[in-house]
Amino acid sequence: MLLDLVYAVAEDHPDQIAVVHGDERIAYRDFVERVERLAAGLLDRGLGAGDPIALVLPNVPEFVVALYAITGIGAAIVPLNPQLKYDELHFRLHQSGVRGIISDDRAVGVCERIVAGWEQPVEIVTTSTAHGHGTTIASLIEGGEARRLAPRSPEEVFVYQFSSGSTGRPKRVARTHGNVHAEARAYPSAFGTGLDDGVFCVTPLFHDYGMTCSLLASTPAGATLVMLEDPNPFVLKRPRAIELIERERPTIFPGVPFTFRLLAEAPQDADMSSLRWCFSAGTALPREVFDAFLERFGVPIRQLYGSTETGTLAANLDAHPIATFASVGKPVGDVEIAVVDDDGAPVPTGAVGELLVASPALTSGYLDQPELTAAACRDGRYLTGDLGRVDEEGRVYITGRKKLLIPVGGYKVDPIEVEDVLNTHPAIAEAIVVGVPGENTGEEIVKAAVVPSATCDERDVIRYAQERLANYKVPRIVEFLDEIPKSPTGKILRQYLL
Amino acid sequence: MSAAADIHTFIVEELLPGRGIDAIDHDDDLLALGVIDSHGVIELVGFLQRRYDVSIADEDLTPEHFSSIASIAQFVASKSDVVG
Repeated sequence: MLLDLVYAVAEDHPDQIAVVHGDERIAYRDFVERVERLAAGLLDRGLGAGDPIALVLPNVPEFVVALYAITGIGAAIVPLNPQLKYDELHFRLHQSGVRGIISDDRAVGVCERIVAGWEQPVEIVTTSTAHGHGTTIASLIEGGEARRLAPRSPEEVFVYQFSSGSTGRPKRVARTHGNVHAEARAYPSAFGTGLDDGVFCVTPLFHDYGMTCSLLASTPAGATLVMLEDPNPFVLKRPRAIELIERERPTIFPGVPFTFRLLAEAPQDADMSSLRWCFSAGTALPREVFDAFLERFGVPIRQLYGSTETGTLAANLDAHPIATFASVGKPVGDVEIAVVDDDGAPVPTGAVGELLVASPALTSGYLDQPELTAAACRDGRYLTGDLGRVDEEGRVYITGRKKLLIPVGGYKVDPIEVEDVLNTHPAIAEAIVVGVPGENTGEEIVKAAVVPSATCDERDVIRYAQERLANYKVPRIVEFLDEIPKSPTGKILRQYLL
Repeated sequence: MSAAADIHTFIVEELLPGRGIDAIDHDDDLLALGVIDSHGVIELVGFLQRRYDVSIADEDLTPEHFSSIASIAQFVASKSDVVG
């Protein structure tokens, strides 16, 4: 399946560069050989089809090689953030029933402590011997025999990922070889990706956005994955990012608004002229970031929409995206997006409702959680929980999250609407709105968490909202914060604001 | 209190709340450990500028300056020398 696409590139263009990381440049010929050797090494260690194998790694070439090696033998990857703490990792490794873990010096110690004493032994492989562990990726590659890997069945699980959602414990999602292959096949037709392209990789590969829009959008299409070494914190890696963009001249850059803002504000000269697609996802792209990046580099940032459950759904590929910058664009590939009301019936064109999607890349549901699956998946379609509308030309606009609506006195308050107002306050850098239990009424009341950019107090914020919003939408509580809590990809962690 | 101890306290109290003063050492790699993300860097820069009356430019935002408490203290000292 997916590896077959990479094999085709390696056969037709063996010297094409698959991965760039620091001074290392891996040609497709060498890349598939590493994949095959590592696959043989994993089989020798007793791992095989059906086994979940965790990849607890930052963005390193070993991640990419291991992804293809693991899935090439029919095992499933479980990509996990190496910055997760003990309890977070324990939950995910245990839920997945991992049989193997590939990690680095930073995280291997905690992984070993977690699986010590498990009834089912877990094979641990590291990226170096610095930790004192004997089995490394390099030793497996060195000892393994390069032998072409057979195609996998579309029904086999390719990846287990954890969907954070907005509340509650992470939910485990399985996507099959068929799902991932369908998504990978959509990128060349949607983005025109091919041998002349380089995908600049700064988003974490353990996250679905990085894995899909960076990794799946590049290597199966014969493009080059240009990896920024250890991209976090990006504010410190900005000079290196600019240097790498100027040196490698990538053409596609999937990022989040924060990375684009930092680049637009970079003090040094920067040449971004090689970029033809800059995609922003994870959270809504602020207009000022779009404008600043466009003004400085002449490149419009385009919003992209997807999720762990679905992969990439839509991207703004408009020829003239300035007027439509707020849209996440039209569905890509064979994706279909409909807007439905609370009863599941289609709404008129332009009306807001919940986005319902159909896609060959869609998961079949949440593992071990039939009730959640039944609520989200209907007749092979997935209710995203996102509110949006579709214009007459088929562009999708995200307007909020259905699950986030705050019930207040019989009304439903869309927090995005209140945030949009507060974010225009001259002394507010960022505002997030949530519903919290009211002390007296038992109902929810609106609370605003605000990062100020200048001096202001609670009265200022409330007065400003009162002037612009119906009374029931006005925040009753204003909390001032130094920053809004966010995930590594910029997704707002609203649960920490309740 | 030395600059390193001062910075140590700020990081533990502001960036690692609830973890205790022993959570990190002066030579620990703050970036590798994920102690400071981009927002943490910005907070830290604000603290250093206020506390030591130094000016930190965007050009100063490099991994070398912010990799450990010791390197941050050294960086601040070099800035203070320039100012002084």
